[in-house]
Amino acid sequence: MISGALLLLILPLVMAGVVYGLLRWASLSALLSVGTALVLGIAAVALPLDQPVQLWGSRQIEMGEAVTFLGRELVLEQADRMAMAVLFFTAAGVFFLAWRFAPHSLLLPMGLGLLSLLSGALLIRPLIYAALLVEIAAALSVFALQSEKGPPTKGGLRYLTFTTLALPGLLVIHWLLERYTLTPDETELLSMAAILLAVSFALLLGVVPFHTWVSTITNDSVPLASAFVLTISNGTIWFLLLDFLETYPWLSNHPRFVPIVATGGLAMVIVGALLAPAQRKPGSLMGYGALVDSGAALLALAMNSESGLTLVILSLLARPFGLILMAAGLSGLRTHSGGDDSFDALRGIGWKAPWSTAAFVFGGLSVAGLPISAGFIWRWPLCRALASSNQSSVLLLLLAGVGVMAGVWRTLSTLLIRPRSPQDRSVISRSSSEGWLTAAVVIVAIMLCVGAGLFPQYLAPLAASLAKTYTFFTP
Amino acid sequence: MPTLVDLLERVSFLAAMPAVAGIFVTAGILVVSRDWRINSLALTVQYFFVVLLLSRLIRLEVAAVKGLIGWLICMVFYLTERRVSTLEQPSPVEESTMALRRWSRWIISAQASFYLLAGILISVAAYTAALRIPLPEVPGDITLACYLLAGLGLLLVGLSDNPMQVGLGLLTFLSGFELFYVALEPSLAIAGLLGAVSFLIALAAAYLRTAQIAASREAVS
Repeated sequence: MISGALLLLILPLVMAGVVYGLLRWASLSALLSVGTALVLGIAAVALPLDQPVQLWGSRQIEMGEAVTFLGRELVLEQADRMAMAVLFFTAAGVFFLAWRFAPHSLLLPMGLGLLSLLSGALLIRPLIYAALLVEIAAALSVFALQSEKGPPTKGGLRYLTFTTLALPGLLVIHWLLERYTLTPDETELLSMAAILLAVSFALLLGVVPFHTWVSTITNDSVPLASAFVLTISNGTIWFLLLDFLETYPWLSNHPRFVPIVATGGLAMVIVGALLAPAQRKPGSLMGYGALVDSGAALLALAMNSESGLTLVILSLLARPFGLILMAAGLSGLRTHSGGDDSFDALRGIGWKAPWSTAAFVFGGLSVAGLPISAGFIWRWPLCRALASSNQSSVLLLLLAGVGVMAGVWRTLSTLLIRPRSPQDRSVISRSSSEGWLTAAVVIVAIMLCVGAGLFPQYLAPLAASLAKTYTFFTP
Repeated sequence: MPTLVDLLERVSFLAAMPAVAGIFVTAGILVVSRDWRINSLALTVQYFFVVLLLSRLIRLEVAAVKGLIGWLICMVFYLTERRVSTLEQPSPVEESTMALRRWSRWIISAQASFYLLAGILISVAAYTAALRIPLPEVPGDITLACYLLAGLGLLLVGLSDNPMQVGLGLLTFLSGFELFYVALEPSLAIAGLLGAVSFLIALAAAYLRTAQIAASREAVS
């Protein structure tokens, strides 16, 4: 009998080794990576938890069977299986686009390795082990974030630094809460734990003023690897936060929970909205777009209700559509401009790389939360939910969307400057240098993004059912 | 032949304020110096003092293993920087000016003076914190060592964006935290995972350092 938890941990790790060996064959390594992520995603969501399934020969697999690792029990539970399916399907999307936009990069094997670690972080209890696995994943992410020929990634280094700074708080919380159960009179232990938890998650989620790694990571790292960090690693952090709130329900009942989370969210939205349109590099713009998105998700969490939680989870489902598409476009644009993504280097590149431009613009629309994009399906309900109680937040959210859109518009207008010959005549090449395969991949990704925006009835029930597995907001 | 544990037992008389003083000096050197040879040596000695203090909180064998991980990390840093210095081999003219610059840096460098001053400020803050906010489950001298390591490590991270300096800073910070945390959670699994974290941070820093040198060589050619 194979335990499902073991399968989710071991298979990506083994495949990471295989893919690393086959990295020189871009299509094969990408196919294996996408296939592994898809198979694991389907297994996590489709196989029953409580009964064994016949695989091959006499081999059986039981997804819900517990397995022991480092003396601790790993069990796949209902909430975790959905969260892991989200992570695996997102990873499949990243690997699919990496096939055309980051072939031969370490993202594929490292991404599979990271999936194994992050799955372990979601499965293992107590949560201190999860904190350590997240830290190990952050250290390994640096290898994927570093481009093959570029200067060292400051974003990767900052990401590692902030994750390391968050580690002590998360580890000490466990001891504080254990001690509180022995001496319930010492209520200051709870206050200390709450402060440490807030600071640690602020560092991990890039809440202002700990946000500097978010824009730096998108500015100077491999774009799809930074999208991996901002969607999959960041998604794991969100699910861990929800696990913390589920394990210690007094946290969400704390009188300062709502004001602290709402202030953090608003600060992220305001900083992102102000800085996004001022960026002269699409990489930084992507980072500030992600900052606005995370801030809006915190505002949804601050609603302190089940509908708010549903919107948080919907944001985690919708965010990859925009960010991965944006990252793929950025990757293509950098390739065509010789690795430089400043506005000066990008002038007129849109004519040479129309598909990368389209990917960047459609991804930007989704990150900004505009209609007929995936981002719209949770931003609009959030604005409506907040409208009755907090109009200023709604206004700021809408302005933040406009800010990100202004940045995308500036980038687009730079990309579409017409190149001119010495005789001052427009010299636009009629043929794209990107190839039909890249075009097909981008079209599929854009259709998925727009499709998610046009048919929210497929994602919204998933988010609602996942939200129901958490009970800390239930009255 | 004496084992590593025997050797550590022989020098256990240092495992109090002398070790804290040693940590203060070595972490201070890491903050002020930008010479990789001195930094590698300082980190090696720092791990020695950390192991001595750890031996008061956990079994000597476990402390020795933590020390071995630390010294392996020093080896990674040393070999990386040695390779980098070979790749960066300057011309004979540059070499003479480099030697001069190396000495002048120690005598008059405003940067080194600033780092020294910042290091002293952090150390004073760590001393005050150790007196005012004692850490639970650890004695006063170890509390001071924890604050010194964490504070000077953070300073090191903040002072530079060079991968090796940031790596040294993160490892110093983590050493300070580990010194405190082993008293709270003496689990072997946690000790092992924290060791793995430290080693991976060192590998990531070394990888970025080689990327830095490869990029600068490409820019020159």
